[in-house]
Amino acid sequence: MIASHLLALLIFSALVSVVFALLQREGRRERIRFGLMAFGAFVLSALVVGWLMYPFPS
Amino acid sequence: MADSRIATDARPGNAVVACILAWLLPGLGHLYLRRNTKGLVFLATLLTLFVLGVAWQARLEPYLGLDDPLSFLRSIAQMALGLPYFVARTLGFEAGVVTAPTHEYGNTFTEVAGLLNILVLLDAYDVAIGRKH
Repeated sequence: MIASHLLALLIFSALVSVVFALLQREGRRERIRFGLMAFGAFVLSALVVGWLMYPFPS
Repeated sequence: MADSRIATDARPGNAVVACILAWLLPGLGHLYLRRNTKGLVFLATLLTLFVLGVAWQARLEPYLGLDDPLSFLRSIAQMALGLPYFVARTLGFEAGVVTAPTHEYGNTFTEVAGLLNILVLLDAYDVAIGRKH
């Protein structure tokens, strides 16, 4: 059912970012801006942490 | 007259009722407070997180012993989603499949859905007492 780890990450980041944006900001423009930044931060930080863990065996 | 209308708009509903409804179903507290857009978006996003988590074999069985604090907190987080959690358990989605590749994704999605619902509940409280719009 799940296609990839990346897809799960993208779905999770998108949904949580929408909720954070609605909770933290007022006004459509501010919410969109905050939501996109939160989404980018989720995805980027996960990719960075993933690459940092790459050299270590499981 | 104008003052009473402003007061009504600033406190659109009973805070206790809003909090109970917000716990029962994500977004219901905001719908009660006539914040329809927020309420519907909360309902859609949190239910999607939870349903995906259940579909990905999350474990929903409650763990209430204090000998394993992390499992206890995990159960509390899932219960914070309210009715959907108990409905899913009633429908037989309790155990999950520990060996499934998606099991941990499912756990994370269901737990985060519940934790976000606590934030949504607090937001509904703030709206109800007039602290937020």
